[in-house]
Amino acid sequence: MGGVFEVIEQTLSLHEVKRVLQVKLKVGELTNAEPDALDMAFEAYSKDTICEGAELIIERVPVRAQCRSCQHVFAVKTMFFLCPNCQNTGIEVIQGEELLLESLEVE
Amino acid sequence: MDHTRREIEVMANLLSANDMQAEVNRTHFRKNNCLAINVIGSPGAGKTTLLEKTLPHLTLDLQVGVIEGDIFTSKDADRIAVHEIPVIQINTGGGCHLDSKMVNKVLPEFDWQATDLMIIENVGNLVCPADFDLGEAFKIIVLSIVEGDDKPAKYPVIFRNAKAVVLNKMDLEQLTDVNMATMKQDILSINPEIKIFEVSCRSGNGLIAWTSWLKQEVKVYQENIG
Repeated sequence: MGGVFEVIEQTLSLHEVKRVLQVKLKVGELTNAEPDALDMAFEAYSKDTICEGAELIIERVPVRAQCRSCQHVFAVKTMFFLCPNCQNTGIEVIQGEELLLESLEVE
Repeated sequence: MDHTRREIEVMANLLSANDMQAEVNRTHFRKNNCLAINVIGSPGAGKTTLLEKTLPHLTLDLQVGVIEGDIFTSKDADRIAVHEIPVIQINTGGGCHLDSKMVNKVLPEFDWQATDLMIIENVGNLVCPADFDLGEAFKIIVLSIVEGDDKPAKYPVIFRNAKAVVLNKMDLEQLTDVNMATMKQDILSINPEIKIFEVSCRSGNGLIAWTSWLKQEVKVYQENIG
C-alpha cells in the first residue's frame, strides 16, 4: 500500500487538488494483492491525508496468455498454463500480472 | 462544487519504485559477474537448513555470499556465519518480505571481487515475496512436502515466477499423506519450465543434484556475461 501512496503523491504534486474522491486500481489475478487487504490498508494509510474518505475501486484483471507456438490467446483458468488449442506448455502471460494505479477522481 | 470534480489518468505501476531499484541491483550483480538468487519459502520449509547443507559443496568451487532476511532476529545469519561465509542480516522490523531497497543498502558490505554467487534468503512467506523483485537472476522456492500437496495450487504466483523448486523433507514422505504425484503435477501445470529437486536436508539425499544444477547455473551466467 506504500507504493499506492507514493504514486498518488507523485501524481498530486503535478496537480492542484483539494481532495481525492476516488482511487481506481487495476489488480491482476496473478499478483498477491488481495482486495480486502488493500481496502483495509487504504483506509489506514489515507487517514489524515488528502485521500481520507476516498472511495477505493479495485478492478480485478483476469489472467490471459498467448501460446508461443500457435499464437492462440486464451484465458488461464485455475492456473493451468497450457494452450487449449495445441496443448503446448510454452506460453506467455499477457494479462493478469498488473498492479496499477489507473486514475484518481479529485476536486 | 461539481464542476471542479475531475478525473486524472495515471496508469502507473504501483511497484515501480521497487522495480527500478531492483534493476539497479541487477546491474550491480551483472557488473560483478555474480549470480544472485532469491530463496523463498514458508517458515520452517528448510531454507536456512538447505543453505547450511549446500554451502560446503558450493564453496569447493565458488565464492559465495549470503543475505539473510528475517523479521527480527539474526538466528539464521548466525547459522550461516559458522561456515565462515560472508553473511549480512537484514531485519525487516515486522515486514513480511525483503524489498530491493533493503538489499541495495547492504551491498557495500560484500567484497564483490570475490563473489560468484549471492544467495538472498527471503523472509519466511510464500505470498508477498513473490511480488517484490530484488534484482536477482531468478527465484528458488523451498517447499517442504509436509506442508501439503495443495500448496502449489494455493500459491500459484510464486510457482509461476520461480526457476526451480526444492521439495524438502522427502525423508518424511512415508509418514504423511502427501501425494507427490499431485504436488509435482500441479507445480508443472503452473510452470511447465520449472526444475524440481526432491531433497532431504536431513539425510542428504538429492543434495548433489540440486547443488550441481546451481553450480552449472553460475557457470552459464558467468559465461554469458563474460
